[in-house]
Amino acid sequence: MAAGGSTAHRTYSFKVVLLGEGCVGKTSLVLRYCENKFNDKHITTLQASFLTKKLNITGKRVNLAIWDTAGQERFHALGPIYYRDSNGAILVYDITDEDSFQKVKNWVKELRKMLGNEICLCIVGNKIDLEKERHVSVEEAEAYAESVGAKHYHTSAKLNKGIEELFLDLCKRMMETAQVEERSKGNGTSHASTGRRGVQIIDDEPQAAAAAGGCCSSG
Amino acid sequence: MSQRSERRGIHVDQSELLCKKGCGYYGNAAWQGLCSKCWREEYQRARQKQIQEDWELAEKLQREEDAAYASSHGSQSQPSLTAFSKFEEKKTNEKTRKVTTVKKFFSPSSRSTTKKEKERDEEREKERERERGEKVQGRRESHGETLLRDLKGIFTHSWEIGSPTEESHEAKSHSPSFVHQSSVETDQVSREFVDFLKSLKPGREIHKQSRAFVESMGNKKDLGADELSECVQDFYQNMSDRLLTHFKGSSEKVERVMDQVEKYIMTRLYKSVFCPETTDDEKKDLTTQHRIRALHWVTIQMLCVPVDEEIPEAADSVVKAITDIIEMDSKRVPRDKLACITSCSKHIFNAIKVTKKEPASADDFLPTLIYIVLKANPPRLQSNIQYITRFCNPSRLMSGEDGYYFTNLCCAVAFIEKLDAHSLNLSVEDFERHMCGGGGGDVSPRRRSESLSPWPLELLSALQERQQQVLEEARDLQAELQRWQEGVAREVQDILDKYPLEIKRHAAHAIDSENDENDRLPPPLQPQVFAG
Ligand SMILES: Nc1nc2c(ncn2[C@@H]2O[C@H](COP(=O)(O)OP(=O)(O)OP(=O)(O)O)[C@@H](O)[C@H]2O)c(=O)[nH]1
Ligand SMILES: [Mg+2]
Repeated sequence: MAAGGSTAHRTYSFKVVLLGEGCVGKTSLVLRYCENKFNDKHITTLQASFLTKKLNITGKRVNLAIWDTAGQERFHALGPIYYRDSNGAILVYDITDEDSFQKVKNWVKELRKMLGNEICLCIVGNKIDLEKERHVSVEEAEAYAESVGAKHYHTSAKLNKGIEELFLDLCKRMMETAQVEERSKGNGTSHASTGRRGVQIIDDEPQAAAAAGGCCSSG
Repeated sequence: MSQRSERRGIHVDQSELLCKKGCGYYGNAAWQGLCSKCWREEYQRARQKQIQEDWELAEKLQREEDAAYASSHGSQSQPSLTAFSKFEEKKTNEKTRKVTTVKKFFSPSSRSTTKKEKERDEEREKERERERGEKVQGRRESHGETLLRDLKGIFTHSWEIGSPTEESHEAKSHSPSFVHQSSVETDQVSREFVDFLKSLKPGREIHKQSRAFVESMGNKKDLGADELSECVQDFYQNMSDRLLTHFKGSSEKVERVMDQVEKYIMTRLYKSVFCPETTDDEKKDLTTQHRIRALHWVTIQMLCVPVDEEIPEAADSVVKAITDIIEMDSKRVPRDKLACITSCSKHIFNAIKVTKKEPASADDFLPTLIYIVLKANPPRLQSNIQYITRFCNPSRLMSGEDGYYFTNLCCAVAFIEKLDAHSLNLSVEDFERHMCGGGGGDVSPRRRSESLSPWPLELLSALQERQQQVLEEARDLQAELQRWQEGVAREVQDILDKYPLEIKRHAAHAIDSENDENDRLPPPLQPQVFAG
C-alpha cells in the first residue's frame, strides 16, 4: 500500500446495518436520508432495504451501504448473518416505547460480544416529534450509550431532524477506526488475510471528485 | 488378419469402459479412465513422487553447495557432517512449512523446459476429450441391435488413435493435472479474457499471473475447501493490490478487471472446487432439499408475505424470481451466480411493489425471499452458497448490493433450517401435524395459489421415473455387453476349433508331403561333386 501521502484520493467503503424492533422507524430513517421522503406513496425507489449514499467528507470519498434488517422477532436469530463484516451499526428505538429501548440494549450486548470494538455503534432515539409521549428518559439513554462506548442521537424521520448529523458523524468515526486499523496493520506490507476483512481502502484517481449528498439508490 | 485386430479391439475397449487399473469398477473420463478410488491413489502417488523428486533435487543441490563451500574453506574439520546436519535442518524446516514451497522454488525452471510439451499435451487432451464425448454419445444411443455396430465403430476408432501402451502412458503423464479440463465453455472464456486484456496496458502480465495461478491450483487438489478458498482469496487480494498501486488504475477499472479475472479463474477451477469431496456440502444440500420438501404446506399467509398472487403482475414476478434462483446452479462463475440472486431479488421487489404500492423494506423482502426459496427448492443450494462465499471476489460480497441479497439468501436458508411453529405463528400441535403429512383440520383449506405449489414434487417424481429408466437401460446394456463378450469369445473359440493349431505344427514339414503324385516325380537332384 502506498504511504500516507495518497490518503486524499481514497474511497472508503462502509457497511452499516440498521437494527431495532419493528415499527421504531428504521426504514423511515433511511428513506428520509437517501430520498428525503417520509410516508410518501410516490417514492421512486423499488425498495428501501439496501440503499447507498456517496459522501465527500473533508476531501475523502465515502461509499456508504446501508443494510436494512428484518426487525420481526422471528428473524432475530438471523442478526449475526446480517451484521457480519459491518463497520457500523445504527440501533434505533422509539422514544415512546420503553420496550424498544430494552431491545437496543440486547443488541448492544450481542454486537459487542460478536464484533468487539471494531464496530461503531450509534444508538438512535427516533420520533422526537412525539416528545409529549416520551417514555425513555434522555438522561438514562445518553448515560447508557456512554457506558457502552456508543454515541447517542435524537432524530425524527417525520420532521427530518438529526438524521444528516447522525450519518455524517458515524462516517467520520468509521473513517477514524479504519485509519487506526490501517496504521496498526503496519506500514507497507499489506497482509492479505486481515486486509480482506473490515474496511476496504481503495486508491483512486485524484481528479474526479464526487459531489457530496448525491444519492445512489439501487433500484 | 481382420480377426486379429478385432480381438485386440475388444481388449482396448474393456480398458476404456472399466477402470484402467483393472479393479473391476467403471472408470471415468474425468479421472483419466480410472475409477474414483484408483484415481485418488494414482494422484497421491504422483504427488508423492513429485515431492520425493523435489527433495532429492534439493538434497543434491545442497550437497553441491556444501561441497563448494568446503573446498573454498579447506581447513573445515568435518564438512560432510555439517552439510548433513544442515540438510536435516532444512528438511524439517520444509516439513513444518508446506511442501509446496519446495515445489514453488523449483517449478519455474521445469515449467519453462516443458512448456512446448505442455501445449502439445493440451492439444492431445482436447482431442481425447472430444473423442470421449463421442464415445459417451455412442454409448447412450446404443440400444439393442445397434449396440454391436456402434461399439465396434468405437473400438476401431480408438484403436486407430493410438496403441494401448501409448494411451496409458499418456494417462500417467496427465494424472496430476486436473487443470486442463478444457471444454468449449472454458475455451470461450479464455478467448474472451484475452480479448478483454488486449486493450489494457498490464494485460499481458494479468494473463500470465492468472494462468500461472490456475496451474498452481492444479497441485493443490487435495487441500481442504477453506485452504483452497484462502488461496483464491489471496490471489484476488494480491492481484487487486497490484493493479491499484502498480498500474495506477481507478477503482472502477480495477473492479472491471477483477471481474474478468474471477470469471477466467473460476470457470477453470469450477469442476474441482465446487462441492468438493473434502466437505459435507453435498450432504447439506440433500438435507436442505428434504427439509424444503417437508415444508411444502407452508402458505404465503403463515410467512406474512406481502405479495398478492391474484394480481397477474405479482404472480408473474414470483414465477420469474423462482426461475432466477433455480438458474443460479447452472452458472460457473461466482459473480454470475450472484447476478441470479440479484435478479431474483429484483423480481421479488417488483411483486411487493405492485401489491403494497410502496418500497419494500427488509421486513417485506426477507419473508418473500423465504417463500420463493421454499417454492423453488433450488438445486444444490448449500453448495452454491458455500461456493460463492469461498470464491467470490470479496469486494462484491462485503458491502455491494449483490452482497446484500446474497446475505438475505443466507438468512432465508438459515430461517428454513431452524423454522418451527413459533416462526409461523402456529401452535406446536398444528406444526407437528403438518410436518407429519396430515393437514390440520382446523387450518382453513389452502387454495392452490397460496400454498406452495407441488410442482417441484411433480418434477422430482418425473426425474425419479427417468432415473429408473436410465438405470434399467444401463442394466440392459450391461447384460448386452456381457452377452456380446461371451458371443465373441465363443466365436473365437469356434474358429480356433475349426482351424486347429495343428496346422502350425505341420508347418515345418515339406509343403508337398501330402501330394500323392510325388512318386511320379523324378528323384531329387543330388549335389554333384566336381573334381577340381
Ligand atoms: N411520528 C413519527 N412517526 C414515525 C417516525 N419515524 C417513523 N415513524 C412511523 O413509524 C412507523 C414505522 O416506521 P418504519 O420506518 O416502517 O419502521 P421500521 O423500524 O422500519 O419497522 P420494521 O420494518 O417493521 O422493522 C410508520 O408508521 C412511520 O410513519 C418519526 O420520526 N416520527
Ligand atoms: Mg422497516
